[in-house]
Amino acid sequence: MILTSIIFFIIAVIFVFQYIQLSKNNVPIINSGTSNADITKPKFTINGNNQEIAITAKEGDFITDDEILLKKNVVFQSNKFKIFTDKVIFNKKKFIATSSEKSKFISKNTSIVSNGFDIVDNGNIINFKGKTKLTLK
Amino acid sequence: MKKTLLLIFIFTILFKNSFSRSVGETEILTDEGIEVFQNEKFYLLKKNVRIIADDFNLSGDEVKIYFDKDLYDIIDIQAKGDVNLDSKSYKIKSSGSSIDIQIIKEEITVKGEASKLYLENVEMLSDGLIKVNNLTGAFEIIGSNSFLKAEDIYIKGNNIDGVFSTTNTREILKLNVEDDQLSNIKTEDLDMLSKKAIYNKETSIIELFENVKIVRGSEIITGDYGTLDTKNNSYKVKSNNSGKVKVLITDSNE
Repeated sequence: MILTSIIFFIIAVIFVFQYIQLSKNNVPIINSGTSNADITKPKFTINGNNQEIAITAKEGDFITDDEILLKKNVVFQSNKFKIFTDKVIFNKKKFIATSSEKSKFISKNTSIVSNGFDIVDNGNIINFKGKTKLTLK
Repeated sequence: MKKTLLLIFIFTILFKNSFSRSVGETEILTDEGIEVFQNEKFYLLKKNVRIIADDFNLSGDEVKIYFDKDLYDIIDIQAKGDVNLDSKSYKIKSSGSSIDIQIIKEEITVKGEASKLYLENVEMLSDGLIKVNNLTGAFEIIGSNSFLKAEDIYIKGNNIDGVFSTTNTREILKLNVEDDQLSNIKTEDLDMLSKKAIYNKETSIIELFENVKIVRGSEIITGDYGTLDTKNNSYKVKSNNSGKVKVLITDSNE
């Protein structure tokens, strides 16, 4: 009886812990009129040699004249892949994007989860940073 | 029974990430990221790389993977820095400073000191290079401390190359062995030393060149050129004009 109670207690703790973890990763985006963002729904494009990468986000703040901090639901999309993250610094002059947030790359039969990324050389080079997991199907 | 099921349930939840790879998937883990070069069509996996697939496991310090159209479309794997490869499906086990696997050519190259390649029933070691092509059966073992060991034969030399049969049991069809010092071929009852040796399964003849020494039991024959017919285990040794064939028979009971 005591053992069963302990087991149920452990299960309950695990579920609560996992719920907290999920909540952290999926923080709801509050789209209120009180937003202090410099730009709403910013859109940019990186034109590479072989592909065009469209960048969208919910909000953006100017850091300098050239650098913009893109926030919330940041998506990089080309005809070959999509990258999802929550914060990216984008240099609109040099077409360089840098993120230190958890990022997910999705392409045909491929997914990459990393702790951030850099996009350089007009989108030719994508550098996924930190401990990274690549899954090929 | 109830408790056992509950424990299995807890175990599954706690360790679900450890079993996250599904059948047919290849999981690649790195400690310092992945650099994807889209135009050049390769990606660089950095530090403590582990590749886990259905058919093989590979680990190394740095791995460069070339692809054809998409990232999953792998054509070449170049791993370096303490590389280990293990494939139970293909009966391959290998380790070395670097391993290059060319998928389309079905060719594996292992380089570096103490390179090892175990392929089915054949063991190959070298301080230089080991290369095997699965489609043609061609193999090369080049460098110091190179040797090949199979069930009934041991071959040592600084330059070993030849052709395996491409069936499950890797039989040697052609063989060239060279060594500036002395190459060595050992079978169950013969020990052959020479600077160069050539074997062809079609003729079943092993030719030995320079500083030839054949040892069979208590019988030792030396000369400059020798042939051995592997069908009937008979051999002939010749000498240059200046030299003589020397036969030494020792009594093993002495």
